[in-house]
Amino acid sequence: MNFLENLPLAAKKLVLDLVEAACKWACAKTGITLPDWGLSLILSLVSVLLVIVTIIVVYLVMFALMSVLERKILARMQNRYGPNRVGFFRWRLWGLLQPVADGIKMLTKEDIVPRGADKIVHFLAPIVMVAPALMLPAIIPYGRGMVPIELASGILYFFALGASTELAVFMAGWSSNNKYSVMGAMRAIAQMISYELPLIMSAVVVALVAGSLSPLKIVEAQGGSILNWFVCTPWGFVACLLFYISALAEANRCPFDLPEGESELVAGHLTEYSGFKYAIFFMAEYVGMFAINGMLVTLFLGGFNAPAPFLSFIPSWCWFFGKLAFLAFSMVWVRATLPRFRIDQMLQFAWKFMIPMSFASFLSAAAWCYSGNAALAWALSTVIVGVPYLVLGRFCFTRHHAVDNRRYLYSE
Amino acid sequence: MNIPGSGILKGMAVTALNFVGSFLDRAHAKRLITEQYPEERPTLPEASRSFPFLIFDGNPETGIRCVACKICEKECPPQCIYIVQDKDANGKAIRRPKVFDIDISVCMGCQICVEVCPFESIRMDNIYEVSSYDRFSALVVSKDKLLKSNEYYHQIHPTEADATDARIEAARVKKTATAKAAAEKAAAAKAAAAAKAAEEKAAADQAAAATTTQPEQPAQ
Amino acid sequence: MHDLLQYLTSRHWEPAPEWLFLIPALLMLAAGFAAVVLRNLIHCALCLTLSFIALGVLFIALGAEFVGLVQLLVYVGAVSMLIVFAILLTPASEVAASNNPFRSFNLSRALNAAVGGFIVLLVLGGLLAAIAFSPHAQAAVLPTTAATLKPAAIGQNLLTQTLLPLQGAAILLTAALVGAALLAKEEKQS
Repeated sequence: MNFLENLPLAAKKLVLDLVEAACKWACAKTGITLPDWGLSLILSLVSVLLVIVTIIVVYLVMFALMSVLERKILARMQNRYGPNRVGFFRWRLWGLLQPVADGIKMLTKEDIVPRGADKIVHFLAPIVMVAPALMLPAIIPYGRGMVPIELASGILYFFALGASTELAVFMAGWSSNNKYSVMGAMRAIAQMISYELPLIMSAVVVALVAGSLSPLKIVEAQGGSILNWFVCTPWGFVACLLFYISALAEANRCPFDLPEGESELVAGHLTEYSGFKYAIFFMAEYVGMFAINGMLVTLFLGGFNAPAPFLSFIPSWCWFFGKLAFLAFSMVWVRATLPRFRIDQMLQFAWKFMIPMSFASFLSAAAWCYSGNAALAWALSTVIVGVPYLVLGRFCFTRHHAVDNRRYLYSE
Repeated sequence: MNIPGSGILKGMAVTALNFVGSFLDRAHAKRLITEQYPEERPTLPEASRSFPFLIFDGNPETGIRCVACKICEKECPPQCIYIVQDKDANGKAIRRPKVFDIDISVCMGCQICVEVCPFESIRMDNIYEVSSYDRFSALVVSKDKLLKSNEYYHQIHPTEADATDARIEAARVKKTATAKAAAEKAAAAKAAAAAKAAEEKAAADQAAAATTTQPEQPAQ
Repeated sequence: MHDLLQYLTSRHWEPAPEWLFLIPALLMLAAGFAAVVLRNLIHCALCLTLSFIALGVLFIALGAEFVGLVQLLVYVGAVSMLIVFAILLTPASEVAASNNPFRSFNLSRALNAAVGGFIVLLVLGGLLAAIAFSPHAQAAVLPTTAATLKPAAIGQNLLTQTLLPLQGAAILLTAALVGAALLAKEEKQS
């Protein structure tokens, strides 16, 4: 239905028309005459603000819902109930108002800054974490004609902002004047840097095939049916998996949540943060997770395209958010299934398996692009990607180092 | 051949089955064993204990077992019991407590008061919802709240209550038996004494009768 | 109706208004100055990062958004991390941990810094002028139109005309990676 599809854009247009009418009414009432550029300036500002506020509100609502749904889904996978009590007056509402209670708790906690901490850097670290995280969703196409900012090198923008997360993690860890925080921050940075490479390589694979760095063009290249999505190709499937695993690592989610492992290093680089600052870090992590999932949907899962043409009565933004919800559910599913990695296992996995596999998928995509007919393309790219997968999977994780040559440095 | 990554997929299948099953197969014994407190209260084991309470048989005024002997007050390690003995109309002390306070913020549940009570009058309750907003005076429990009936005791600790009742019954039987035996012995002793006194009197009479007939015979 | 919005979000701002240049330029100067003057080494590194960010913004304001974003990705995400790690892992880190942001003002030191800065500016400016106005440079530089600043055009140029420097940079990075791995490897006890 066209009406639903254009609903967000129509709402935006309605608001802008209202603002224009209000300005004209105010001008007529007070007698001030605006110059030409005055009205257009006001309307541009309102339009920009509207988009920004909508994105932030949507992401924060998704963050709030996610924090409670994650606990409930995790609980159901572990054969227990999740939070099911916080409701509204007499109705329990399945506990979905838990984020309200959590938010009130976080906001009313005392903000403790250690005495020896570097106050400016300690204060700035959550800000440096959350500001790029909130800028990430600006280039993702949410629906037909619904990209907030259309950049030619949107993918590059996305990863440039993602790289500044590491800076915030380091600032948080170092400024706490706590050697465990510094250690946690070092590990977190090592993890993030190691997994940036497969992340960016997988995105570059898609850019290679789509011929553009603009997310909108990439989504348009996957139009049609589900078979056009990049995930349904050999190289795309592998690149999607690599991107997904790297997204888990970048967002510090299980099984890569060593930096914030509650059973080790207290809370790692977030040890000395309490109350609102901790809430800000938490929020930045979740918003970053949603943004990276949005990028995965854009790059591999066809963005806002419906799986089949006859299903396009469901609006495109519904498809986008549905795919995003499925990815978020899968991240919770993975969290419920897998134990946490050790730091050396994590880094080994990144450098010895994921980076060679990402190069393999790059070659495979190139073979796909430059093959003559479809059969050759499928065969060649499957082989180029499958053989390294099996070889690396069997032989790159040799375990005999750790058992045989264990050296105990200080035991004598 | 072992495909790398197949283990993770198997694990995820297990988790997914758990997820779906927790909605569909809720009645299974191993699923969702969470107790929804406060709608469902946990069944406590029989020997669970929290704070002491006083037992009365029948009437809280007259059936109270405690005699204010103050042994539990002396034996309590954190000294959380406070007892004042009651006085009757004339000012004479009677065997009943007027004030019996236990500070449950101090009581550690060691059950020593129960062990030393000679009259089976103080026992451990298993209540746990006793929190209050006042840290001090609301947690000092007075006699009227501590008094609970023997039927309640049977409800919470059936085996102990049966054993206590059997002990009390045995003590009562023994007391009546010894009293009866003592009464019988006293009666027997009294009868024996009476018989002996009668015998001595008869003997004395006989002796007196013998001496009065003796002087007439030598005159002839 | 929304020309300003289109202007602000269009992909190339040419020519950019002057205030758009002043803000990142002043920020970069202030951050650079702070990076030199501050006492705590980590603070200096963070101010250097801020100057990198300002430079990236400057690139974007000049219309070279690809270069600006790459600057943000590489310098802020990787090089500043490298600098910070280098500060933390060297023995001078005890000095780095001191918390006093500004040392007391010392006239002779300030004069030294000013003279040194002036000399550096002279040398760099001369170098830049020599490069910019040499006939060889004028011939090789690409005209900065909208078409040449697209990532596709940059990629094409890198892989055809400036292929040798690209491969040189690749070899350099590989050597650095191998060297780092070698340095970090544990020594096997014989």
